[in-house]
Amino acid sequence: MRVVDVNRILGPVPHDDVPGRDAAGLRGELDRLRIDEAWVVHSHAVYGDPLTVPPVEEDRLLAVPAVIPGPLGTGELPPVPVVRLYPAAHRFSLGDDGSDHHDDGARLLRLLGERRTVTLVDWEQLDAAGRRRLSRRPGMPPLVLTGTGYRSLRELAGLLARCEHLHVDTSTLCGHRQVEWAAERFGAHRVLFGTGSPLTDDAGPRFQLDHLDLPAADVARIAAGNADRLLREAGGAHAAGERGSRTGGSPTGRSRTGGREAGG
Amino acid sequence: MNVIDAHAHLGRWFNFAIPDGSAESLLAVMDRCGVAQACVSHLLAVGPDARAGNALLVADLARYPGRLLGYAVYQPHDPEAGARLRDLLDVPGMAGVKLHPDVHEAELDAPAYAEAFEIAAERGVPVLSHGQYGSPWSDPARFAAVGPRYPALPVLMGHAGLWPEGFAAAARAAAAAPNLVLETCGSRMTARHLVRLVREVGAERIAFGSDAVFLDLRVGLGRVRLAELSEADRAQILYGTMKGLL
Repeated sequence: MRVVDVNRILGPVPHDDVPGRDAAGLRGELDRLRIDEAWVVHSHAVYGDPLTVPPVEEDRLLAVPAVIPGPLGTGELPPVPVVRLYPAAHRFSLGDDGSDHHDDGARLLRLLGERRTVTLVDWEQLDAAGRRRLSRRPGMPPLVLTGTGYRSLRELAGLLARCEHLHVDTSTLCGHRQVEWAAERFGAHRVLFGTGSPLTDDAGPRFQLDHLDLPAADVARIAAGNADRLLREAGGAHAAGERGSRTGGSPTGRSRTGGREAGG
Repeated sequence: MNVIDAHAHLGRWFNFAIPDGSAESLLAVMDRCGVAQACVSHLLAVGPDARAGNALLVADLARYPGRLLGYAVYQPHDPEAGARLRDLLDVPGMAGVKLHPDVHEAELDAPAYAEAFEIAAERGVPVLSHGQYGSPWSDPARFAAVGPRYPALPVLMGHAGLWPEGFAAAARAAAAAPNLVLETCGSRMTARHLVRLVREVGAERIAFGSDAVFLDLRVGLGRVRLAELSEADRAQILYGTMKGLL
């Protein structure tokens, strides 16, 4: 079964010593846990200088830039299939009103929606207004809520029920049978395998993936199929046919040549 | 391997959703990933109603003998808690005492819990307490204070401090009190944290727990199964440590 971890940080973090402090270390972790590919945001973009991020030059890793709107943001939206937003950490607003063309956050979301750019946002990066903003349709990009936490299932369930463009990763969907519950209630096409590593555990979610009480086809969707589908659907300059090109070298770059097939 | 889950629950909880907290649901997950026994308390007993929750636990122990072992919740605000605990520890399958200082709003090392420790020591059953670094009720330092008072009594520190910044404090407490055992569940514990704890205190001082049905048993088990540990240490954590306490 092919496995893609959509929620991972590459690089050193300020509060711990982690195996993924560099690409070689991260590759070792992926090998050990039989994870074929990972979507990675660089730790410099999260904890350091979002404007100057080291390149990700590693097969199996899809570099995901952290995008910041506004005059002091990361500039023109790069032609990439996946971005991450950190509104709390980077201190910006997603906008209160989608009709306000002068609002930087709203404009960014509208552009991401037009391009169908897969957009990852961590639950804890959103206040109540941000969650309402992302649940508004139409025009939103495909959104993956990460790190939703097992305690937030009631609120998350309401959002998933109302908003087909919302997806959830498994990183902290770690309450008793919550992955099964979300997949059965909203469809396995809404759930993506993600670990949140190194901030949250990678071993537990990986083991859980192998022991889900779901049809094999649904498990395969969660493991990699949904991630692949969202990438295919991401339009413009990052169409599926361009996969495998290694641009690297900037926050907008991506290096991805496809992963090996792992057993089991 | 006969994996024993040292920290699990039945029931539901008020401030987040547990879609299915039944014993049958827990047992189905245990069967799916090879867990032989789970040591459980009932969440109703941990929360507002120890009497009713412990009664529900007794009923589930009778339905699944051998698969479920019980922790009787000691409610320090119940004037009859001591007598009730003695009766509960007579029930077949009741294997220990559960304390939750943060829910009870009582310090682990305060007189409110002294009777629970004394009865557990007298009966020779372990005590599992919630342990949360930085908490005014259950910080690892409180385990280090209470442990030496009952040197022959195994005391499990639930969650090993809970937060990553608290794992080192949990290890220090274990070093200070030889009867403390660190239990591994929690949504912030990772496999690398577990490896460090093994290095610091030894696998014989660590027991696998999942916190099901709060948390998914498979996530907690996978953390141990896929950690970079020797097979001997892995077996000790998944089975040996808890087996030695029961």
